[in-house]
Formats: sequence, structure tokens, C-alpha cells
Amino acid sequence: MFSDSSPPMDPDSPQPESNPSSADLTPATVQPIEPTAFESSASPDFTPLSDQRFNSLDELTHDLGSLHELSTRGSWEAILDKISQARALFLLTKPHEHLTYLTYQVMALTKLRRSDEASHELNSLHDFDGTHYRYESYPEIYPNRKGSMVPFSLRWLYALIPTKLGNRQEGLDRLYTLLDFVRDRIREKESQKLDCSVELWKKRERFVMSCLLGFHLGHKEFGVSLDLIKELIKRDPLDPVLVSKLGYVQMQFGDIEGAKATFNRVEEMLNEGKNDETQFKNLVGRNKALVHVVAKDYAAAVREYEECIERDNSDVIAVNNKALCLMYLRDLSDAIKVMESALERVPTAALNESLVVNLCSMYELAYVNHTDAKRTLNTWITRVAPDDFDSSCTRI
Amino acid sequence: MSSTATQGPHSLAFRVMRLCKPSFHVDPPLRIDPFDLLSGEDFSDDPSSASLLRRHLSSTDAVDSDLSYRNRFLINHPTDPIGLSGLLLLPQSFGAIYLGETFCSYISVNNSSTSQVRDVTIKAEIQTERQRILLLDTSKSPVESIRTGGRYDFIVEHDVKELGAHTLVCSALYNDADGERKYLPQFFKFVVANPLSVRTKETTFLEACIENHTKSNLFMDQVDFEPAKQWTALRLHDQQHPPTSDLAGLIPNPPVIIRSGGGIHNYLYKLVPSSDVSGQPKFQGSSILGKFQITWRTNLGEPGRLQTQQILGAPVSRKEINMRVVEVPTAIHLNRPFSASLNLTNQTDRQLGPFEVSLTQDESQMEKPVAINGLQKLMLPRLEAFGSNDFQLNLIASKLGVQKIAGITALDTREKKTYELVPEMEIFVESD
Repeated sequence: MFSDSSPPMDPDSPQPESNPSSADLTPATVQPIEPTAFESSASPDFTPLSDQRFNSLDELTHDLGSLHELSTRGSWEAILDKISQARALFLLTKPHEHLTYLTYQVMALTKLRRSDEASHELNSLHDFDGTHYRYESYPEIYPNRKGSMVPFSLRWLYALIPTKLGNRQEGLDRLYTLLDFVRDRIREKESQKLDCSVELWKKRERFVMSCLLGFHLGHKEFGVSLDLIKELIKRDPLDPVLVSKLGYVQMQFGDIEGAKATFNRVEEMLNEGKNDETQFKNLVGRNKALVHVVAKDYAAAVREYEECIERDNSDVIAVNNKALCLMYLRDLSDAIKVMESALERVPTAALNESLVVNLCSMYELAYVNHTDAKRTLNTWITRVAPDDFDSSCTRI
Repeated sequence: MSSTATQGPHSLAFRVMRLCKPSFHVDPPLRIDPFDLLSGEDFSDDPSSASLLRRHLSSTDAVDSDLSYRNRFLINHPTDPIGLSGLLLLPQSFGAIYLGETFCSYISVNNSSTSQVRDVTIKAEIQTERQRILLLDTSKSPVESIRTGGRYDFIVEHDVKELGAHTLVCSALYNDADGERKYLPQFFKFVVANPLSVRTKETTFLEACIENHTKSNLFMDQVDFEPAKQWTALRLHDQQHPPTSDLAGLIPNPPVIIRSGGGIHNYLYKLVPSSDVSGQPKFQGSSILGKFQITWRTNLGEPGRLQTQQILGAPVSRKEINMRVVEVPTAIHLNRPFSASLNLTNQTDRQLGPFEVSLTQDESQMEKPVAINGLQKLMLPRLEAFGSNDFQLNLIASKLGVQKIAGITALDTREKKTYELVPEMEIFVESD
């Protein structure tokens, strides 16, 4: 698996472009690698991770910069192509590169809603916690580096996949197991005084807790959701976005007075603090608007949302919610205009499945022949949208 | 909602959408922190690796791409993985509707023909088994015209107070392009179901069990018991937990949320006779205890409210005759007769009796674990008003272990009324 196809390198010279059509890279010249064989063929001066220096993402892992860029553009098909190409041409030389590529592959497949294929790829993995995936198992490649080379996202995807395949209970079990695992790592890194890692693992703890919160909320399991969000707030009591979400949860199950009290707390944070960034002001404005929505004072809600949009015209939550309020004010035409203009003005911010679902509901109400309007929208979407956009949301 | 229109080509058509409150979109996204993908999980054990990676990542961030969907993949704020951004979704289906809720609907009349229609009178009504309720009527000021491709919109609201089948009848009376006066009725049916059942049990305590029959979880905003005037009611609930200090009062008490589809919550009240009611208890007759006012909320505070009917208490009367076991020997052995002391009390203000005390025979003719030994009937003389009589019964136990002295009755031979031994007494039967 770990065949070395790149020529020996001098650490000071830039890495040569990998040339997939090079005559050297025929399968016959490549041999399966044992650690000793590798040691003898590599230059003793150069193993990127050992002297801890890499001058670009690409030096860390083959073509990583490009993979990263493609992921931010939502070009998941291109990523899958890159991965199969790199594998076919044996461009990946180090164990961690294979893991990174596998993670990208599973991520891409899951994003493209091909979860059974993603699950299949995950089955090819060894036990995460075995020696296969530890740096110290390959001292020639990673001298002085210790620990697990498994990308955390791969663990997370492994936990998530059952939910994508309809097995929610298994998914939840795996996520809770993952949470325990993360907490063990926090304790471990604390005892080893690895502060940077402690911070990172604590971030991962909040990540998994947030993910669990989303799952429980989606299933309206409010008791456990409240417990989780309380735990998150304990760790970040002054995060206005987090506290606002507590307010949304309270609104979701109907505790309006509780939600108002929570939003007041967030507003106090804005008034007391020095941070008067637009983001914060808009957060407070949107919270106020929600209180108006609950009280059915849609006109007041629209005014709040308009202030938000004036401060930041890419505030898509304000745009979407304003349109809904206009509809509740019987102004379906303007509601549609607001949505359509946002898609035109700030397409990459505005194009999300929920906004499209709302717009299509409005089309269905407004036009007897709504299929035409939806088809036009769909055509535009296919030109602009990323690979992972779920166009079934147009219900055509 | 299902709709049926009349025959014949119509220029107009009704389109209807139920407007309950919008809901929060909840969908945990596939978004990550690049550190978790681009390197191994223990990569940052070496701080210089971590800072190098961070530097390389931020330099790629600086390149602002036109078609960037980074927010669909990279985490911006730590709470992004929850998938609760505050974005609202329109109701995606009609859903279920329950008694006590408010039915609200957006109604749009569209002109899908190629010419204008004029003089449009629109009506919207709710038709139930019992009545027809008018929600909207523009006949006093009809809509002058609706151009081709145009629309006239309105929103109607109705508090649902009846169960069962409801029909939203939308009708339009208009002049079409040929000047013909046409009538378009459209019918949208829905069914109103019962959201809750309230079962009560009481002695001097009233326990109400509220069961949720809806498809949503119900946040119990208010459950108030309004006692009838001869009672005062005190709500009993478990101790409130003190608010955790670091949250400084956020979510002080766990909210009462009744789970959808059969979840229950119990409410307990202690009922005390109000001070102005006369002291002497009655024999028979039920008493009205009071009724419940229940307000609940669902998604985004959507309210519903119900009142129960009057709840009746069990008769507060005392029994005329009270028969009970006063004493049994400390050791009772299998198949060895023992003597139990009993008491018969006349709780009325007149003479009752004489009485015949015996063991009831049940249909199965099975041997009772504790039976009367010897003569199966004991005669007791008449009792004066409020008088009582202590007597002995010779009993024998035929089974080991915990057994009950039960099934003993006293028959008033004159009035032919039977009184049971209450309460049943438990004894422990040892072996010889």
C-alpha cells in the first residue's frame, strides 16, 4: 500500500509537480513497502514531518491545497475524481496521506448523499485505535512524532454514517461513544500538559455536543436538548450566539417567557460589552423580531429584519424570515420578491435548501401554474449551486 | 387539504395554505473544522506543527473566491454543528388540528384565465356538523376586477371549538369575460381531534392525569384547577430545584413538556372544604369539585386552550355500619384455630340490626385461605344509634404466608343490607 513513487528530495528545493503521465510510474516499478525498504530508498535528510516543517499544505499531504479549495467551492465530484486518480497512479506515499484522502472521500460521498458507498469505504478501515494509524509505528517516516494520525473528522463521519442510512439509534450510540473518547483525550492531554492539544480537544468536545444537540432537537427531544445546551453554556456563558440558541430551543417547545428572558440576557451582553459588531447587532435584532413573530406582530418583525438587512445585506436569515413575515401580512408578492432578489444579489450566501423550500411553497400558493416558476428556479440553481445541493427541495 | 371544485371551466381558482406558526429549521450540517480533516487528530501535540498548519490555512482563506460555498463546509462559529440558525420554515403540510387551537389560513384567489374577471364577491366559511361560521364576506364591497394572472389574497382565522369534520368553504361569485355571472365553490376538508384526555382520581386529594393525544410535544403553559366554591385547592408538586448559580437563573425550573402521542403528566391537588361550609358530612350525593383550565403551547408558542367539564367527587358520605378487625394474635399457625377481635359500629342516628356475621361464598367455591372455624354464622344483637359492639370470631388459616382476613360480611337482617369488613386485614401464617 505504501509504495514510494516520488523521487528522493532535497528539503530546500520546492516539491516538484507530480507528473501523472511520467513513464516511471508504471505498476511494474512499484513494490509493496516494508519499513526497512523505505528507509533505504529515501534521502536521510528529508522526511517532512520529522523536522516539523512544511511550507504549504501540499507539502503536508499530496495536493492538499487543491483538495481544500475544491471543498470550499462544494466541488465534491472533482474531489472524488482527484482521489481515484491519486490512488490509481500511486501518488500517495505516506500512511497519513491515505487516511486524509479516505476522509475526503467519505466526506464527499456523504455530501453527495451516497451514504451507502461512504459506509462501504469506512468498512475498509482498520480499528482506529490500533497500531496501524499511529505515527510511532512508522518511525522512519515520522521520527519524533507520536500519537494518532486518524483525522478527527473520520471518527466523526464513522459515528454519523448510521444516521444517514436510517439507523438513528446506532448513530447516537456512536456519537455518545465518541464524546466519551474526546473527554478521555482531554484528560490525557491535560495530564501531559499539551495545552494546544487540550484547546483543540475541548473544541472537539463542543463540536460533538453540538452535533448531538442538533440530533435531539430535530427529534423534538427537548429534555435532553436542554441538558446539552446547559452544558454548552456552562463552558461558554458569554457567547451571545449560543445563548440565543437556548432562546430558540425554548421557543421551539413553547416557553415564550423563558425565551424572552434569554434574549434579554443576550441584549444585555451587547449593551455591556465593547463589541458592537454588525454581527452582534443583527443577532439581537433577529431575536427581537422572533419575539414579534410569536406575538403575531409581523409588521414590527419586518421592521427589525429590515434594519438587519440594511446593516448587512448578506444576512440571509433576516431576508428569509422577513419574507415569511410579509406573507403572514398577506403580502405574498413582496415576500416572493424579497427571496428572489436575495438569490440574485448574494447567490452564494442565499442559496440554501431551506430558503428554496420556502420560496417554492410561496410559488405553489401564488401561481396556479407554479411548475413554470419552479422550473426557472431549478435551471438557475443547476448553474450556480455546488455539487452537494439537494435539488429535491424544489419539489418538481 | 383535499379540495373539490365544481364542473365547468372557471377563470378563477382558490389556493389555500394553512398558516400555523412557522417553525425553526433544524438540520445538523456536514461542516467541520479544517484542523480535523487536514491533519491527524494528535498532529497538534506538537505546537509548532499546529501553528504552521493554522498559518497555511489562513493564507488560503485570504484568497476570496467568487463562487465560495465555504459556509456549507467549514465551521464559522462553534454552534454551527447544531444546525439551528434561527431560519424559519413555512408549514410544509396541513398537519393535525386539535380542539382549542386556532385555525389560520392564507387564501388566494387566482385568475388563471386569459382575460379579466369583474365584480368578484368572495366568501369564506367554516362548516361543521352543527353550524356554519362566516369568516369573510366581500359582498358589501366586491373586488372590482382581477386581471389575467392576478390574485386577490386574504387570511382567515377561526378558534376551533368543535370536534370532528370541518369544511372550509371558499366561494367566488364573479362576471367572467363573456359577462356571464359564475359561481365557484371550493371545499377544503379537515378533521378536528381531541388533544387531551383528563382522568381524575380523588379522595380528599385530586389527581389529574393529562394525556397528550397530539402529534406534537405540548409545553404546559398553565394548568389551573378552579375549585367549586365549597372547596379550596392546593397544588402539590415536588420541590423546585434551586437554580444553578453559574447559569444565573437561566432555565430555573425544568419546563413541563408532555411528550406527543400518549405522553402523560400528573397534577396533584389537596382539597380542603372551605371554611364557610357547614360541618356535618352528608350521606349520599356527589359534590362538584371544580374544573380545569388548561393552556398549552407548541412550536413558536402556538397556543391552545381547553376547559374540562365539572369534575365530580365520590360521595363524601360515611358508611352506616363500620366493621373492622381490632386485634389478632401475634402468632398464627397453619390449620390451628385462632381468635380475632372485631368491632361493629353503628354510625347512624337510628337503631340498626340485628346482624348476621358470616363469610361470603364466592362462585368458585374455592376454599378461602382464612375461614370461620366452627359455626359459620354469628348473630349479633341490634345496635343503638352510634353504638358499637366488640365480638370475637373464631378463624382458621389453611395457607402459609401472608394472607388476608377478607370476605367477612355483616347482614342487617331487618333492612336486608350487607356491610363488608373494611379494611381487609393481612396476617402472617406460620407453619406448625
